[in-house]
Amino acid sequence: METGFPWKRVAMALFLASVLAAGCSKKQTVKSDSGAGPAPGESAVSAPAPGGEATGAIQEAPVAGMPPAQAPPAPGEAPTVVAKAAEAGVAVTEERPSRFEDVLFDFDKSDLRAEGKKICQTVAEYLRRNPKARVLIEGHCDERGTAEYNLALGERRATAVRNFIVSLGVPKAAFSTVSFGKERPLDPGHNEAAWAKNRRAHFVLK
Amino acid sequence: MPALLVTLLFPASATPVLYIDINSPGGRRMPVAVASFIVVSGDASLSRGVPKILEADLSLTDLFDIVPEKAHMETVTPAHFAGTPLSYPAWKVIGAEAVVIGKVETRGDQVSLEMRLYDATQGTMMAGKRYSGNPRQVRSMAHRFANEIVYAFTGVRGIFGTEIAFSARPERGKGKELFVVGIDGQDMRKVTDNRSFNLFPRWSADGQWLAYTSYRTGVPVIYLRNVATGAEKEVVRFGTSKSPGGFSADGQWLYAAVSQEGNSDIYRVRVVGGEAEKVVEGWGLEVSPAPSPDGRRIAFVSDRGGSPQVYVKTLGSPEELRISQGSGYATSPSWSPAGDRIAYTARLEGKFAIFTIAPDGTDLRQLAAAPDADCEDPSFAPDGRSLVYTYRKRGYSELKIISSDGRRERTLAAGLGDMGSPAWSPGR
Repeated sequence: METGFPWKRVAMALFLASVLAAGCSKKQTVKSDSGAGPAPGESAVSAPAPGGEATGAIQEAPVAGMPPAQAPPAPGEAPTVVAKAAEAGVAVTEERPSRFEDVLFDFDKSDLRAEGKKICQTVAEYLRRNPKARVLIEGHCDERGTAEYNLALGERRATAVRNFIVSLGVPKAAFSTVSFGKERPLDPGHNEAAWAKNRRAHFVLK
Repeated sequence: MPALLVTLLFPASATPVLYIDINSPGGRRMPVAVASFIVVSGDASLSRGVPKILEADLSLTDLFDIVPEKAHMETVTPAHFAGTPLSYPAWKVIGAEAVVIGKVETRGDQVSLEMRLYDATQGTMMAGKRYSGNPRQVRSMAHRFANEIVYAFTGVRGIFGTEIAFSARPERGKGKELFVVGIDGQDMRKVTDNRSFNLFPRWSADGQWLAYTSYRTGVPVIYLRNVATGAEKEVVRFGTSKSPGGFSADGQWLYAAVSQEGNSDIYRVRVVGGEAEKVVEGWGLEVSPAPSPDGRRIAFVSDRGGSPQVYVKTLGSPEELRISQGSGYATSPSWSPAGDRIAYTARLEGKFAIFTIAPDGTDLRQLAAAPDADCEDPSFAPDGRSLVYTYRKRGYSELKIISSDGRRERTLAAGLGDMGSPAWSPGR
């Protein structure tokens, strides 16, 4: 090269390594590029998946004069396939109406405020009169922050509400909890007024 | 044959040329010409179609300049694949220092694609591969050879053909589905389609599977899904809320945050067998486990100190070191593939911005920030040279790719609602 590009020993090591690898191994005319791919000689072309995506390993061979490709790192253990996905959607994306008000929270908090405790007392009262009723408590968060953290925070809010109602004498078995994190805001706005409504626990009678 | 190769590559001295030093940003770019391919049989449009894929890939790096096709003077013929040398002066005179030639043959449902890279100054072949597969795999063959080209010039394998998984709301409906898109922004497709919430895609080490949380049965469950075939299995059902973090380096364990009684802890769950072990616990919310590339540590988020912060734990040791600074809100750690940096999201003057830091909590640097928007959820590319992240401004969102030195940035994908949790697939 006539250019002023720098020279580097790392590159030499890599080149020499590949050359050595080529020198040590028998020349393969066809080498599978993927550890999970089929063995040489086997057909590498599989039927396309539904939707027309390309699947199956591409076969790759070095052109005469080039060393075979370096083997990629071995893939992890492939999980056992139990079943094809049953894509049955459940209506979790729609707000279900409640006979109770939502319990609201401060930012990044799961402590019950005075008005929230009052709502919990209403729920407790209802359950005392309807001991067979079952209540799902959903925890929700505003849109700020990471989805994973908000998922855990929503769960903590739902559990805090449940624990408070249980402390009023309602059996724990009357409740289940689920967090939707920040995925299902009640108010789609992007301001404090919307966020305040979205940091909540929502009651659903099952 | 290998002996001949040595003489071809290193004619006089034993020291090879490193054509491009990727560690000197802003250095001179390598001018490359991609000649029109010879179509022996089959789809004639591949003659320019495949070179266009190669050119687009090479242009995504800051390493190459493409010498446009209209400047080319020599027509490549089958003889050039049978020993006849190219007329190198005809390429040098138009500024090309390297030339890519290729040949496509289609027989039934079988495409054979041969590509070669020549050094126009020395007249030597720098890379040469022959690929075969079905016609839908042509794009992927081109990506692979683009990786060979990058490797031949830099000694570091390229990342073309890798993909970004993310979650987003499709045009209609309030649910979220998982999507996958190529790093060139092409081939965007839906991975799930069940109209519930499908969240937090995380790639397996072999790039074949995504772990994710789905609400499709009404409650959150972590599944593993094969991206190509749609085959699926359930991995984590215990607990209430749950989100996958990352896989162990050997691929046998999935790290996940799982809530029980409102308290989220970090577990590792065997991908085959399903037994679970608690890895990090406490009264706080522990989420977002990210195993280090060497498998010896995990980064995670905990609010045990009063607000969410990033910690690093050495596995098998009780030591848990907080690495994020300040009293704000720091989440979503992602390791660089070399294990020397952790990118995370933190609040800066009311907006979220992306920082990187050494795993011991030193050398904090701001990477991406916008005064009126949130930059969140960083995920490193398998070569460590760039990251993908979520850019959100009020109701608008898109995925951006930024170089790890912060100098170059582009929009990867936009147009869906609430795009987030991008995860870069491992190298292919």
